[in-house]
Amino acid sequence: MIALARKTLVYEWRRFVPAVLAVGFSGLLLAVQAALVLGIFGSAALYVTASSADLWAGYPGTQSVNFGRAIDPGVEMRLRLDPEIAAVEPYLWVDGEWSAGSVSSGSVSIYLSGISTRPDALMFAQVLPTALRDRLREPGAVIVDPVDLDTLSVEVGGRAWINSHAVHVVAVVPGLRGLGGVNVLASLDTARQIGGADAAAGSTYYVARTVGTGRAEAVRARLMAGRGSMGPVEFWTAPEFAQRSQWYWLLDTGAGVAVLFMALIVCLVGAVITSQSLASVVANSAREYAMLNALGASRWALARVVVEQSFWIGGLGLLLALLASSGLLLIAAAYHVPVAMTLLVALGCVLLVACLVLCSGLVAVRGLMRADPTLLLR
Amino acid sequence: MSSETATVQKTSANPKPSLMAEGLDKAFMSGKIRVQVLQSLGISIYPGELTLVAGPSGCGKSTLMSLLSGLQRPDAGHVYALGQDISHLDRRELERFRLLNTGFVFQGFNLFPALTATEQVQLPLGYMGVDDKRSADRAMRALEEVGMVHRANMRPAELSGGERQRVAIARAIVKEPPLLFADEPTSALDAENGQRVIDILHRIAGTHGATVLCVSHDPRLIRHADRVLEMEDGAIRSDRRSGTHDSQGVCA
Repeated sequence: MIALARKTLVYEWRRFVPAVLAVGFSGLLLAVQAALVLGIFGSAALYVTASSADLWAGYPGTQSVNFGRAIDPGVEMRLRLDPEIAAVEPYLWVDGEWSAGSVSSGSVSIYLSGISTRPDALMFAQVLPTALRDRLREPGAVIVDPVDLDTLSVEVGGRAWINSHAVHVVAVVPGLRGLGGVNVLASLDTARQIGGADAAAGSTYYVARTVGTGRAEAVRARLMAGRGSMGPVEFWTAPEFAQRSQWYWLLDTGAGVAVLFMALIVCLVGAVITSQSLASVVANSAREYAMLNALGASRWALARVVVEQSFWIGGLGLLLALLASSGLLLIAAAYHVPVAMTLLVALGCVLLVACLVLCSGLVAVRGLMRADPTLLLR
Repeated sequence: MSSETATVQKTSANPKPSLMAEGLDKAFMSGKIRVQVLQSLGISIYPGELTLVAGPSGCGKSTLMSLLSGLQRPDAGHVYALGQDISHLDRRELERFRLLNTGFVFQGFNLFPALTATEQVQLPLGYMGVDDKRSADRAMRALEEVGMVHRANMRPAELSGGERQRVAIARAIVKEPPLLFADEPTSALDAENGQRVIDILHRIAGTHGATVLCVSHDPRLIRHADRVLEMEDGAIRSDRRSGTHDSQGVCA
C-alpha cells in the first residue's frame, strides 16, 4: 500500500508546518503551565513535602497549612502513646511582619516556622541540613531561602525584625520559597518568643513519623476514632494534607481556576489552528481524494489517510514541545522560577495534546466527506 | 418522450450490452428551482468499443455518465452494469462496485503531487488488497501501455499536461476494469497529446474488450469513436456508428 499520508507529509511539508507548530506550541504552553502550577501551588504544601513526617495533627477543617490554629498540647502525649508512632514533634506557625533596617521601616508578610532543632527532627528534614538546623539554637536565629534575601532586604548575617522582635539571618537554604508569603525558619523557642502569648502554649501542628512504612493511614484512622477524649483536632496523612493544601490554593482561591481556564484556551486555540491547517491540506487535495473515491477507495479508507497525517503532525508537534519545554523549564529552574514536573502530569499533557490532534483530524475528515466525485465531472 | 431503450444493435459477435439504462430520471435543485436533467432515458452500451456521448454544455451527458458509472443514483429508473442493477445500491456497495469494475479519466488529471507516476498508478490497487510488489509490476505494465515507462519515477510537477493525462489513464486501466469512463479527457490537451489519448482509449476498447464510455465535445474524438450518441436537453437525439448515419435507436 502506497504510504500516501507520509509521502504527502514529506513532499508538502511546508503546508503542514503551521499544524506542527500549533501542536508544538499547545504542548509547550500546557507543559509550562502545568510546571508552573506544580511549582507554585506545590509550594503551598512545601511544609509537608519537605518534611519526613507522615502524619499531621492540626485544627479540624484546616484547609491549608498556612491556616493552622493552635491545638491542645495533650495531642502530643496522645500521639506518643500510640505504639506505632516512632517520633513526634511540635510545629509552630506564626504569621509575621518582617522589617529590615529599623522597626519602623516597611514590612513584608512572612510565614515563620518554629521547628525542632534536634538532629533527627522531622520538619524540613528534606531541605535543611543538620548543621544548619543546629545553628537555629541561637536565640533570634533564622534561615531563609537565598532567593528571598532581596525581598527581605537583608543579607546573610544581617539583622531584621519580625513583629518587632530582633532576628538575624544565620544561613540561607534553597527550596523554601512559599506561596503567599516568605518562609522563615526559626527554632521553636524563637518562634514562641515572636508569636507572643498566642504561641506560648501548645502548637499549631504536631507531626509524627510512624513505625515502618505504609502504616500512616491505619494509624490516622485509629487516632481519628479515638479523638473524642482530646480537644478539637484532626489527623491527616502527609500526602492527604499536602493535597488538601494544594487543592485549596488551586481551586478555592480562583488562581488555579484561572490557570485551568488558560489551559482550556490553549487547547482550544491549538485545536482550531491544527484543524484549520489540516482542513486546508485536505481541501487542497479534495479533487485527488474525490478521484480515489471515484475509483472505489472508500471514504473510510481516505479518512484514515487524514487521521494518519494528524498522528504524524501530533508526534512531530509533541517532539517539538518536549524539546522546547525541557529547555524552557531548565532555564526557569536555573533562574529560581518555581517550576516542577512529574511523569504523570507530563503524560497528562501528552494525552491532552493527543486528544487535541485527534479532534483536529476528525474535524478535517468532515471536509473529506464532502469530497464528491461528481464534482470532477465537467 | 419515450421510455424505450436505444435499439442500435451491436454488430460484433457479442450483442449483450455491458451498460444498460431504463427510464432514467435525474433532477437537481438549482437554488429553489428543480431542474430536470434526464427524463425517462434509456440506452445500451456495448463492450469492445469506444462510445462517445456528445452534446452542448448542460445537455445532461456528464449526468448520464455519473449514473451509468455508479457515481450517483438515479431518482427513478434502473442502471444495469455488467448485468447488475446498481441503481439502488447504497454508497458503500457502489464504492465496492466501482473499485472492482470501473476506471475513470477526467479532464483534470487529479494526481497527488507527492507521488511518482508509478505510485499514482499503484495507489488504487492498494485499496483492492494487491501487495506492493505485484502492484508495482502491474503499474509498470499500465504505464507501458500508455507509453510512460520512461517517466515512471517523475512526479506530476515534472510532467507535461499530456503526460499527466497518460498517467491518469494508466491509473484508470491498471485495475483492468471492464468499464472505463472518460469525461472530457482531451479538452485540456494540445492536438498531439489529445490524439495520443484518443488512440489509447480506442486501443483499450479494442484490445481489452473494455466498455469505454467517453463524454466530450472534442471533434477529434467524434471522428475516432466507434459509436456517437448526440444528446440535447437531457435526451439522446441521434445514435450512429462510425461509417454509418444510422439513428434508428433514438430514445427518450
